[in-house]
Amino acid sequence: MTAPGIVVLVVGGVALLGLGVTVGGLWARRRADRLDRRYRDLEREARELREACRELRASYAELQSSEAAQVNDARVSSVGSLVAGVAHEMNTPLGALNASHDTFRRALDRLQDILADERVDPEELEEVRRIVRAVDRTARTQDLAFERLAHVVDELRAFGRPDDAEISVVDLHDGLESTLTVLGHELGDRIVVERRYGDLPPVECHPHRLNQVFLNLLSNAIHAIHGPGTIVVGTDAGDGQVTVAIEDSGVGIPEEDLPKIFDAGFTTRKERKGMGLGLLISQQIVHQHGGRIEVESRPGEGSTFRVRLPVRIPASGARAGGAGEAGP
Amino acid sequence: MSLDGRDGMDGTVVLVDDEEMVLDAIEGFLELETSYRVLGFTSPDRALDAIGEERPEAILADFLMPGMDGIQLLERVRAVDPTATRILLTGYADRDNAIRAINRVGLYHYMEKPWDNEHLKLVIRNGVERSWLFRQLDERLEELESANEELHEIRRRLVRTFL
Repeated sequence: MTAPGIVVLVVGGVALLGLGVTVGGLWARRRADRLDRRYRDLEREARELREACRELRASYAELQSSEAAQVNDARVSSVGSLVAGVAHEMNTPLGALNASHDTFRRALDRLQDILADERVDPEELEEVRRIVRAVDRTARTQDLAFERLAHVVDELRAFGRPDDAEISVVDLHDGLESTLTVLGHELGDRIVVERRYGDLPPVECHPHRLNQVFLNLLSNAIHAIHGPGTIVVGTDAGDGQVTVAIEDSGVGIPEEDLPKIFDAGFTTRKERKGMGLGLLISQQIVHQHGGRIEVESRPGEGSTFRVRLPVRIPASGARAGGAGEAGP
Repeated sequence: MSLDGRDGMDGTVVLVDDEEMVLDAIEGFLELETSYRVLGFTSPDRALDAIGEERPEAILADFLMPGMDGIQLLERVRAVDPTATRILLTGYADRDNAIRAINRVGLYHYMEKPWDNEHLKLVIRNGVERSWLFRQLDERLEELESANEELHEIRRRLVRTFL
């Protein structure tokens, strides 16, 4: 090979190499640009995602707090209607007491006037008899009014639920039986009680409070039955749980009323003896035991209330659950 | 008023309230302080029967009662005997509903529970007197009407005799 030939080759080679490097450089730069853009895109997307995430988190928190507010509202309005119910319930007996106490005073004043007079004549004795009759009637009003007020206070006390009731391990059938005995005169010959008792393990509970639940559910069942009817009391156990079912052949609960039956103030009893707290209190007691009450009803055929309880009170159930829900 | 503190006025008052203790409280008071004949009813239907028969001067009815409320009852009393004075007794909570219905019944007075005995006595006394005056007026009007008719008859006879 000649020298010029070699030079040409070398120059050509260098030129080719230079071209190659230049092209390669251009290609690499384009690629880097693309990567850069891509990176920026990704960065923007990430920013958007972070923003969206923050928004979601904010609205979730908002939702949570509004839910908490709603629950709180419901609780406040429940307490509000409870207080209104108590005030309404107190008004009649207080009015009667107030008026009859006034009559009592007037009558006593008049009797004292007559007795202070030493020359009491027979005509005035007739007046004394009349006053005594009025006093007697007044005393009767006071008996009735005091009884009514005591009843309201009893219900309130049960609602405020004193924590002195002891925890023990008992056979729930004993509680059911003593409750049925208490209700004996209300059941009379009108209502037949059918017992379908299963084998129950001893249950850890506040027996007095559970009896109050049974009393309330059975008493509701009795009131739901107009005329002759049947109440079936059934029990069974399984999976560390016991169930007490009270089924009546009564009038049933209209579908639109079902969501309201555990509300304060809900009552169907016309004689105005209760304040519509029975089911609310019962539910509260069952919750304290870590259990729940289930309702099933067919209007015109009857209702079934099932109390489901764990055999042992869960650690968190008895105290914490109660403190949050109750309170006067 | 006589010396022993009685009203000295006659008349019959009907009380209607589904709460026995309210009836007792008012009856006891009126027995001591007035000489009205007082009839108390826990059932609005029975009260209506009695009102037709006894023609009381005043009726005091509770607002909230099962079956028939006080407004409905007084509406029917008005149809039976418009001269009887109608008084409504309401719980504080029922006040708005009661006031809305008052014009429908031509109510003389409405009282709120818890009531004041002295005020109640005054309202009932005025109510009884008002009814009594209405009935007197009615009687006089009837007397005047029949006298007027008699005069017309006499005039007719005079005209026939002399013309």
